[in-house]
Amino acid sequence: MTRVLTTRGDAAPRSSASAGTTGDAPRSSPIVPLVAALLVAGTLIYIKTADLDAIETRSLAIGELLVRLAEHVQLVAVSTVVVVALGVPLGILLSRQAAGPLQAPVLAVANAGQAIPSIGILVLLALLYDVGFAMAVVSLVVYALLPVLRNTMVGLRQVDRSIIDAARGMGMGSRRILFTVELPLAVPVMLAGIRIALILNVGVATLATYTNAGGLGDLIERGIVFYRMPILLSGCLLTIALALLVDWLAGVAESRLRPRGL
Amino acid sequence: MSEQSTPGTGTRSDVMISLRDVSKRYSGADAEAVRPLSIDIERGEFLVLVGPSGCGKTTTLRMINRLVEPSGGEIWVDGKNATRVDADELRRHIGYVIQQVGLLPHMTIGENVGLVPKLLGWGKDRIRQRVTELLDLVGLDPDTYRSRYPKQLSGGQQQRVGVARALAADPPVMLMDEPFGAIDPITRGHLQDEFLKLQARIRKTIVFVTHDIDEALRLGDRIAIFDENARLAQLATPLEILTNPADDFVRSFIGDGAALRRLALLRVGDLPAVPGVGIRDGVEVEPDETVSAVLEKVLAAGSDSAVVRGRGSLTVQDMLLATAVRDESAVAT
Ligand SMILES: Nc1ncnc2c1ncn2[C@@H]1O[C@H](COP(=O)(O)OP(=O)(O)OP(=O)(O)O)[C@@H](O)[C@H]1O
Ligand SMILES: [Mg+2]
Repeated sequence: MTRVLTTRGDAAPRSSASAGTTGDAPRSSPIVPLVAALLVAGTLIYIKTADLDAIETRSLAIGELLVRLAEHVQLVAVSTVVVVALGVPLGILLSRQAAGPLQAPVLAVANAGQAIPSIGILVLLALLYDVGFAMAVVSLVVYALLPVLRNTMVGLRQVDRSIIDAARGMGMGSRRILFTVELPLAVPVMLAGIRIALILNVGVATLATYTNAGGLGDLIERGIVFYRMPILLSGCLLTIALALLVDWLAGVAESRLRPRGL
Repeated sequence: MSEQSTPGTGTRSDVMISLRDVSKRYSGADAEAVRPLSIDIERGEFLVLVGPSGCGKTTTLRMINRLVEPSGGEIWVDGKNATRVDADELRRHIGYVIQQVGLLPHMTIGENVGLVPKLLGWGKDRIRQRVTELLDLVGLDPDTYRSRYPKQLSGGQQQRVGVARALAADPPVMLMDEPFGAIDPITRGHLQDEFLKLQARIRKTIVFVTHDIDEALRLGDRIAIFDENARLAQLATPLEILTNPADDFVRSFIGDGAALRRLALLRVGDLPAVPGVGIRDGVEVEPDETVSAVLEKVLAAGSDSAVVRGRGSLTVQDMLLATAVRDESAVAT
């Protein structure tokens, strides 16, 4: 339970704060977006120059690719927003003293959500209810809730008790302490959780094709079904490029949003 | 500050903090962490709570600003029943300093010091001015330190900020829980000196927790010594405690060297000097200087006596003998 999820695999979030006092953005090296751009460029050049048949040409038209990409980004964006909107408040509530007994069961449910393969949830939802965008979002949210929830709780729990004690001793109320002390100090750990959720979503959104919600997974699935290597390959490469780019952006946001002084 | 009268309770206005049969038993514990305790602390008094680990010092302190709710008894602060007023409001008028300092790491030193004034709704300019004043007061250059973050300061500097922060809204009462406990001995000595000087100027009512008897003897106007069982063993001035320890526990807690320690507490003006003999070649000293300071001066000057202004002369022998008076019990440990 006390394990902290960070994208860097640090043992503890505080250790990452040990670096110097000024240089706060060691992660925003331009190499990652460069690789992503190269992947996209390579894919496009390959599509332009390769000898494609009718199915391939139709699937890999620029307009078609952009639509899939837009669908994918939309899936990721919406589900991440929902995950944050659910996970952060829930994590805050659960970390309040009064909610102590609820912590274990809720975490168990969130754990189960991540243990169950998304494809299972997707197909189940499709069978029981319907296909479409909403169902895809639901299954993404179920899968990615855990890191946000858990990191919110861990982030709040690791705030130094003596700091909270001093704040109380100065006459700050518990609500004020939550918003001006605990949450700001939990931000780095919470952001790490959100970043993980984001990246999980980029990957798992490729499965949305099975509930007719589109996305880059469409290309991959079509490549498999029609046995068309160029389509399959393009789908994979574009997904990888998107994942790299999203992770990089999240990293930049992470170091920008980390409160100064930590 | 406010001289609110308290009918039927007999609170005199010169008592700032009154503990009345205050006790604490934590839920699940079989023994009381604080046994029913009654102490009146005068306005401007520096009271030190001292005793071995676990004797309830922190608990007692934290009941005064209600970070711990008492299980029994009443606490009056500045003429008001502290157990009945809004806890947050109460705390904004009581300075609180802890060993871990507890500065908010994501706020600058200036913001940290200005926290309570901000809670009290002061204007920006007034806060800024107050922060400047306080950083000066605790010996930190405002221009250098105001916009730094806590982690950019040494432990001793952080604790100065902790003290400044507690003083920010000019509270009449300060609660200090081992504030210098985590600081190296040399810096601790400096901080103690500075703090005594500061206290001489600002005259706060201070309750100070330590487990270091030397710190207690050095700082306190009065000292409350507790034993392991949370029993108040003695409440007296440092000199009285060294001279007349109440029991064996106090005697062993003081440790060896009570007689020598008294030298640092006794004032030469209190010793019987030989009057009239003022023209001898003794070192001239003031009556309010401590015996140890005077001995130091006399020995450094290669002399063997001091001339206390307006009193007469004292030989080294006089000083040593006078401090040893009534000390037989303390020596025989
Ligand atoms: N929150 C708490 N819950 C239960 N018991 C507590 C709590 N705080 C303190 N105690 C117990 O109450 C007793 C007194 O603790 P307290 O912290 O007041 O001692 P102290 O004199 O400050 O000790 P130290 O010098 O180690 O700081 C101890 O036995 C301690 O274990
Ligand atoms: Mg303590």
